[in-house]
Amino acid sequence: MRFSGFAAFAGAALLVTTAFAQDVVKIGQIEAQTGPNSVNGWMSSQGVPMAVDEINKAGGFQVAGKKYKLELISLDTRGDPKEATVQIKRLIERDKVKFVFGPFLSNVFATILPYAEQFNGKFLLMGGATRAHEYLGKPGYEFVVRTWSWDTGPQGFGELMTDYVKKLGTKKIAMLMQNDQGGQVVASIYEDLFKKAGIETKLEFFEPGTKDFSAALAKLAAWKPDLLFPGYNDSVMYDIMRQSTEGNYFRRFMVARGSMGPCLKNKAEIDDCIVYVPKYFEEAEKTNDKVKKFVAAYKAFYKRDFPYDQAPICSQSCYDHVYMLVAAMQKAGTVDDVTAIRKALLSITYEGLWKISFDEKGEQIFDFDVVHMKRNGEIKVTTIDPPRK
Amino acid sequence: MTQLLVTQILNGIIVGTLYGIIALGVTLTFGITGIVNFALGQFMMVGAYAAWYLTDVVGLPYPVALLPAVGVAALAGLVVDQLLFRFTRDNLVNGLLVSIGLIAVFESTALLIWTSSPKEMNFVMSGSLSFAGISLPKTKIVVFATLSAVIFLTFLALMRTWLGRAAYAYSQNPEAARLMGVRTQLLQSGVVVYSCALAGLGGALYVSLYSLEPFLGGMYILKGVEAAILGGIGSLVGSLVGGILLGVIEAVGSIYLPTAFRDAYGLILVVIVLIFRPSGLFGER
Repeated sequence: MRFSGFAAFAGAALLVTTAFAQDVVKIGQIEAQTGPNSVNGWMSSQGVPMAVDEINKAGGFQVAGKKYKLELISLDTRGDPKEATVQIKRLIERDKVKFVFGPFLSNVFATILPYAEQFNGKFLLMGGATRAHEYLGKPGYEFVVRTWSWDTGPQGFGELMTDYVKKLGTKKIAMLMQNDQGGQVVASIYEDLFKKAGIETKLEFFEPGTKDFSAALAKLAAWKPDLLFPGYNDSVMYDIMRQSTEGNYFRRFMVARGSMGPCLKNKAEIDDCIVYVPKYFEEAEKTNDKVKKFVAAYKAFYKRDFPYDQAPICSQSCYDHVYMLVAAMQKAGTVDDVTAIRKALLSITYEGLWKISFDEKGEQIFDFDVVHMKRNGEIKVTTIDPPRK
Repeated sequence: MTQLLVTQILNGIIVGTLYGIIALGVTLTFGITGIVNFALGQFMMVGAYAAWYLTDVVGLPYPVALLPAVGVAALAGLVVDQLLFRFTRDNLVNGLLVSIGLIAVFESTALLIWTSSPKEMNFVMSGSLSFAGISLPKTKIVVFATLSAVIFLTFLALMRTWLGRAAYAYSQNPEAARLMGVRTQLLQSGVVVYSCALAGLGGALYVSLYSLEPFLGGMYILKGVEAAILGGIGSLVGSLVGGILLGVIEAVGSIYLPTAFRDAYGLILVVIVLIFRPSGLFGER
């Protein structure tokens, strides 16, 4: 009697434990949350926990008649590829995670790839790294989903930006880029785009971590270009733009990655700043209820000011993507079959902070803003929704 | 081309004085306590954030904000010295490890408070001074003048004051200095605090030139140590000269060679100098 009672209790406990174990869907995150490159990963580490918290507080989500909650395992790579490799190994092998958000850094992506590709078909790696583009749609790399848009092609923001500056009469563009994976890829993309548009380019690389750009700016300015295309994140653009105007090297800029922050800070000295911004939150907050709600939710969740200059980076592996993943699992009717979930993810269009869909190879398409700032901060915002299938 | 070269030499001298002030802090601390304080870069970061906060957030005029910013860095140095470094005087390896550990603590704290978003201070002094085709931002000239004055006054104080002579005496023979009545504990703490104040001043001036992030200290301590080694660890003049040489070689190298390898030009110079003078340019043979 006692034994059967104990057995019944043990059986019930096991059932409950198993049920609870099955009730959780784990999301891993590997981004540079701290360190010199954290400007590329920090915002994602802010947006994802908010979405996870919202979904869980709403009671979780249902897939195939069963209720699930999300568990986020967010790891800080510090932008260190070696650390990221250890972390993704932990996520896949120890934590048995099937969905990993990140990385946005190309050098991290390139380093973890040889390890990650062994688990093709067993998990999804959803990150915005520029290097990920070349692996999309290739056999053996179905696990790669790029959560950012590409510069070229009919949906590419780079082609549109190039057309825009060409129409302004631009003939020569100087490029000043970080000498790292991201900078090398951006430089090669835009050299081609500009060449196709008949715009001459001169390229100078600088070491990541550089603060004083006067030598490089002086070299480029001597060539007398029409515009400077400075770097791919805010942490260098602030310095480049300031030193450009202080030293009288450049007053016209084209920015294809980064935010409006550097332009606005130097607005009294800049003649033109043409910026691709995934979303210009300062304006969007006034006109878009979802953006307004997100800003308020951020302030309540983190109890600090909203980071307007960083928020556009939430277009990659961030808040919307958590909801999108849940929607994909619901459409696929499974939380385990990553192939089916990937297929569902690529078939849906999600309208959150952004209108997000994926092309057939798994590259993100989303609406974006081109912001043209003139001297003293006069701003014109053009929102573009790229063509989709 | 001549104008470009001259401009970059001048720019390199200015940037080099920022390296020099950190190198001075490294030299002073090492000379008196025997510890290479790798956390000095973090006190530079503290001074920078304090200056930015007092100027852009609180609204103080920038020149007025400088002294309290330096004070904050000095106070942080005092706290760290009394709570941590004080107990590592007899074990230099521990002191080194503590200084390295402090880097993570300071960076994480700054990240928590201010996030990774770069902060750029409003223009302190816009415009540049031009002469014969050579143009230098006014702010840079003022920063150079301020740092040079402080380094020069530090040197004077060490040569001409009782405290300075006591510090020299202690660095040469701690036991003898103690026997001569030098309060060595106070001296060591004083030097640590002063070094942190120097680094804080460097940071407070840095922020008038460049954007600010929690990780700026890492780069500058490396430059400071590089400059101190180039000039000769233990030599005050060497720390300034080392910093300036480093700044100039980086700037000039970047004109004729790819900017991407800027840091390497300084390192090559250090290696060449050390081959011929292992103790640095002004170090004791």
